[in-house]
Amino acid sequence: MKERIKKDAVIIGAGMAGLTAALYCGRMNLDTLVLENGIIGGQIANATDIENYPGFESVSGSELIGTLQRQAENFGAVIDEFDEIEKVTLKTSPKIIETIEKIYEADVVIIASGMNRRKLPLPEEKKFAGRGVHYCELCDGHAYNGKIIAVMGGGNAAVDAANFLTKYAEKIYLIHRSEFRADEVSQKRLRANDKVEIMLQTEIKALRGSKRLEEVEIFDKKTGETKTLKVDGIFVNIGVEPNTQLFKDELTLSASGRIIAGEDCRTEIEGVFAAGDVREKEIRQLTTAASDGTTAALLAEKYLAKLKEAN
Amino acid sequence: MVKVYSFESCPWCVKVKNYLKARGVEYEVRDIELDEEAAKECQKISGDLTVPVTTIDGVNYVLGFDKRKIDALLGIGNSQLA
Repeated sequence: MKERIKKDAVIIGAGMAGLTAALYCGRMNLDTLVLENGIIGGQIANATDIENYPGFESVSGSELIGTLQRQAENFGAVIDEFDEIEKVTLKTSPKIIETIEKIYEADVVIIASGMNRRKLPLPEEKKFAGRGVHYCELCDGHAYNGKIIAVMGGGNAAVDAANFLTKYAEKIYLIHRSEFRADEVSQKRLRANDKVEIMLQTEIKALRGSKRLEEVEIFDKKTGETKTLKVDGIFVNIGVEPNTQLFKDELTLSASGRIIAGEDCRTEIEGVFAAGDVREKEIRQLTTAASDGTTAALLAEKYLAKLKEAN
Repeated sequence: MVKVYSFESCPWCVKVKNYLKARGVEYEVRDIELDEEAAKECQKISGDLTVPVTTIDGVNYVLGFDKRKIDALLGIGNSQLA
């Protein structure tokens, strides 16, 4: 029998939005639990140089998130990074969050579950995952010291990953199916490095190797040519997708799979808020995630006060 | 003794170490960045340098953070965290 635990607020996700919400909830003396089954910090945990967060010329994701985590915990928020949510029921009062180990009852739920990296959509991906196909340059880049690798993608995350990996690899191919979307500063840095060969308008069609990845088959869209590239590893950065599987039966999702909520972060269910990249919105930045976390927490406290008054 | 092949700035390695701590499991850190011997051992165990690699006997191992697999490897059931 699972233990039932009552909480004022359960925050799902410990990225920038979730931890900011936890910091504010903690400061308002709400009994707050944050559930995270991935890495604390989410997408930015692996970022090496964040240069667009106000107040910091350059800061690593782990440093920024480490500080924010301590701030949230100092104000009483509890973060559980090992339990895993199995089911959420949001339309009841209280709302129910069932994990592998416990059942939480909460008056407020703040969903800040963020995004996951999109997997390489090739059938061989499973065979080579962790054996030449990687999604975290900070975790696995060191294994490619003096080796030949490819980075797939053309956004900021891909270009920053390639820039970071130049410190290990002897040669890097940056492969992207269309044109760069990354900002000019990152592109310029990448182009200036002799180790890097940029291959735009190029698709990866197949992965090959016996026990681990040995080569990729690429298709040049400009020339219509197919060729084989010897690589020891490939780092995939082809975008992200919202982490909303748990909520699809409870909340209306947008065409892109995100949760529909306004700038006030209120969803269609009273007491349920969506904050950060998981919320459908036009601008998704670290700063706007922090802003959402703040808004959701402050409005959650208002909702709880109203609830108390009514009872 | 449980060994965790890892390096300092690797976020999933930190998660494995935190998990073992929370479960009250003693472990030895084998840093593959600072210790060449540890890197060689890691390569021998998993055939690769991707970490974290958690092992007791140097034969059976868990790559990455997978709570269920780590529990099974260490023989710790679905008990409450220490």
